[in-house]
Parts: sequence; structure tokens; C-alpha cells
Amino acid sequence: MHRWNSITLQVIALTMMIGTAQAFDDSLYPDLKGQWTRATPDASFDPSKPPGRGQQAPLTAEYQAIFEANLREREAGVPPTWPGRTCLPPGMPAMMTAFQPMEIIVMPRATFIRIDYIRESRRRIFTDGRTWPKEVEPGFDGYSIGKWIDEDGDGKFDVLETETRYFSGPRAFDLSGIPLHEDNETVIKERIYLDKADKNLLHDEITVTDNALTRPWTVKKSYRRSADARPEWPEYLCVERSETMRIGNETYLVNKEGYLMPSKKGQKPPSVQYFPVAER
Amino acid sequence: MTHRALIATAALAAALMLPLAAAQAFDESKYPDWSGAWRRIAVPGVTGQPGYDQTKRLGRAQQAPLTAEATAIMEASIADQAKGGQGNYPTYTCLSPGMPRIMTPYGMMEMLITPDTIHVLLEHVHDSRRIYTDGRDWPTNVTPTLQGYSIGKWLDTDGDGRYDTLEVETRNMRGPRAFDASGMPLHADNKTIVKERIRLDPANPNVMLNEITTIDSSLTRPWTVTKRYGRDPKENPIWTEENCAEGNGHVEIRGQGYFLSAEGDLMPSRKGQEPPDLRYFTEAGK
Repeated sequence: MHRWNSITLQVIALTMMIGTAQAFDDSLYPDLKGQWTRATPDASFDPSKPPGRGQQAPLTAEYQAIFEANLREREAGVPPTWPGRTCLPPGMPAMMTAFQPMEIIVMPRATFIRIDYIRESRRRIFTDGRTWPKEVEPGFDGYSIGKWIDEDGDGKFDVLETETRYFSGPRAFDLSGIPLHEDNETVIKERIYLDKADKNLLHDEITVTDNALTRPWTVKKSYRRSADARPEWPEYLCVERSETMRIGNETYLVNKEGYLMPSKKGQKPPSVQYFPVAER
Repeated sequence: MTHRALIATAALAAALMLPLAAAQAFDESKYPDWSGAWRRIAVPGVTGQPGYDQTKRLGRAQQAPLTAEATAIMEASIADQAKGGQGNYPTYTCLSPGMPRIMTPYGMMEMLITPDTIHVLLEHVHDSRRIYTDGRDWPTNVTPTLQGYSIGKWLDTDGDGRYDTLEVETRNMRGPRAFDASGMPLHADNKTIVKERIRLDPANPNVMLNEITTIDSSLTRPWTVTKRYGRDPKENPIWTEENCAEGNGHVEIRGQGYFLSAEGDLMPSRKGQEPPDLRYFTEAGK
């Protein structure tokens, strides 16, 4: 009896140790550590197609017209309809183009995606089994719920499936100004996983359902892991880099000396009606 | 214990140790529970914009050990702000406050503890940090940033087998930075060193203490303040997204700050301010 008590105690002790240690068993998750950069040089939303019209975005007639107007503005010299020109963040899904290096942090209750581009975005993808909350603050990054999947049945998770809702805007798919609908009722589904043949290549299959589209639009983005185990994380402060300024409903260029300049032919200067000196 | 029992125990232990080895990849039970959303604790009676030392009002009331030169910069900033200007307050254009001011903090804060890095996620202008706890040394070639480069070390100060205090040192900063919105400056040489001791309040695990010591050429001696953060009691706090450019009523043109009216028109920020030079617009003189 004494013998089995001893064994039992040891088993209990070990079980307790495991119970504590298993609070977060990160060995169950894929290794997504490190610095990821966009695998393709082009920053279009669908990296497999040419930019602009070449994206063949399935836009509704109304939003195709908005997009065409955006392209004409761009050809006329105005920066494209892209929230970044006023230092607003791209938000989802454009942020997953990874205009700057990306870090993915897998935690017990959520997976975080940090991308320092205009806004130092930190997507929270909640993986704690929650349902859609009743009270949410809409944002450019949206509200994401995810689920880890063990697709190959090896006892380890390999795919993160996510769904993202609750957006604010304006948002565009990419720098050419392909718009998302202003109702911000976008729903985005993603499948994020490491390449089976190359563990330093990450894929994100993104399907966007939006009222600016005639059907869901699916693209596949890929990211390459830096070989540097201790990479430098650049600081991207839009206000220091911006070459444009939004005043009222107009966008102006800012030259190297800091002077405001017209962004298109015949553009009027901003009103200075509130300056008594100027009215003299 | 008999030989047979020893074999049985060893077999059980071996079987149980297998998953244990895997599970120990990151044993978060060794670290303090810093999960949740944290906010600056307001001090009763201290009104207005938060001062760097949160127990005192910003500006002169801080009684910061400033050099004469830094005091003059702060006084000029306060005088300019009294006239409607922005003084020595770079954040108004959506530039990050940088260290140590980001740890005030102005918005919600979340701390993610991973084996090699603490991610301090701060919802404000552009304030988030990485604190490396992987034993690295100072890098020899790193681009300075407003947040700086932070190296941390976990301590078990009470010897209970769990870490309770994070000691952090931050270097490699750039400017411009100020301690608070009054424009109390950090030195333009950007040789600041910031040391922090971050821990939960022993009397209340929902209060976090951050003892921050700043060494800077704008100061006559190291300046230590203790900041207190409170944990949101909600299990699933509502995370807000702050975008400084959204609704910012300030623009800066050639070093001059202007307001934007509700309609988006330029407005002077101080009495007698002239409009910006619009020489590149052919209709400007009309």
C-alpha cells in the first residue's frame, strides 16, 4: 500500500507539473516567429495580376465607376484614392499586403499581427472560442475571430482560419484605389498557413465579401521569413514621410521645402478666409 | 520501494515527461499575469492633460530637475501655447511622443509576454514597443527610433520561483521628444537612457507599477517617477482603435501650426498669425 501511495504521489506531482506547463503549449502551433515581408515586389491586392485595371476586381458598376474616376485622378497627377495619403491606415484587407515587415505572435487566446505601416497595426485574432460580440468599436483593422485547424491530423495546428467584420473606412484594396463599399459591411475570411515545402514561406488566402463586389474576391498572398533571427523593425511614421496634405476636401502636394503645391492643374489654393491679414 | 515499483514509477514518469518536455516550450506560469487592458490611473485632484509624473499637473508643477537651458525651452513653449501656439509639442502633428512619454500611457495598453520579447501594445499615436528579453546585448548598428531600443530582464525578487519584475533599459532614441504636452523637453542630443522596473502592485494585482528613471542631458540628475496603471475588469475588454490623422484639427506647414475649421478651412492658431506662403498657386495672389 505504501509502495503504491508513493507512485501515486509521484504521478500526481508530475501531472500537476504538466497541468501548469500546459497553460500554453506553443509546440502545438506552427512556428510563425520572425519577420515576414511580402514575397512579391508588386503591392497590388492580387499579387498574381497586374496592378490597376489588370486586377480585374469584380466590382459592381457603381464601384467600377468610382474606381475609373480614381484612376483618372491618378493619371491627372493626384495621388490615388487611398487612405494613406492622409495618413489613415489601409485597414483590412489591404494591410495584409504587408507594406512593411510583419510579425505574428501566437498567444493562448489570440494571435496578433503587427505591421508598422502608417498605423502601427496590431490585429487581434481571437482564438478563444468567442462568438461575435454585441458591442464592438468598428475599426480599420476590423474585429477578427479565428480558429486553429489541424488539417493533416498530425496533432499540431497548421492552419489559422479567420473571419473579420466590423470595419470603419474609407478603405481601398490597394494603391490604385480599388474601393471597398462605404457601408463598411465587409466580411473577410482568411486561411493562414506555412508552405508545406518551405517553412519560411507563409500564405494567406483572403476572400473578401463586400457590397462593392459582384461576388466574393479571393486572392493568395505570400510572405517570406527573414533569415535574420534578430531583425530590425523599422519605424514608419506617416507624418514624416507624407508628401501630401489634406485640407478640406482637397489634397495638396508638399514639396521638399515644405511649401504647399497644387496636386493637379488649375487647383485653387486652400482658403485663407479666416486670416484677417490675408483679407487686407 | 521494490524494484518492480521503481520500474513502474520510471515508466510512468517517462510517459508523462514526454508531453511535459513539449509543454515546457513556453511555461507562462513562470511569469506574472499581465493579461488584459491597462489604463493610466487618474489621480484625484490632478486635472488637465496628464503630466509625466501623474501625481502632479503638467508643466512647471512637475518640478522636473531641468537644466537652465531646458527650463528656458519649457518656458518658451508654455508662453507660445498661452498665445495659441503648440510650443515644443511635436505630437500635435501625429508624431509619436516616444520614450519615456509613451508609457504615460494615453490610451489602452496591452502587454504580451513571449519567451523572447515583451510586446507593449499602446493605442495612441504610434507608441507600441518591443522589449527584448532573450539575453541580447546592445546592437552595434540600429536606426534610432522615437520608442528606442529596449532590452529587458525578468527578476524573481521574492524568490518564489516566479518572475515578478521586469527590468528594462531603453537607448537609441531620436527626437523630437517631450516629457508631456507642456513641451518640457528631452535633450536634442537624444542620448536619453530610460530604466524601468515594471511589476504588479503587491497589494493589488490589478494595479501595475512602472518605476521609470530617465537620464537625459536636459536633466541635472536622473528623474524617477512611478506610474500606476489599472487593469480593465472586463474579461473581454473593448479595444478601441485610435488613428491620430482621423479628425486631427491641426496641420503644420513650414514649421507653423494651423487649425482646421469644421469645414476643413485653414485657421490661424494664434493671434496675428499670417496665412501660409502659397507661392506655388497661381491664384494665390488674387
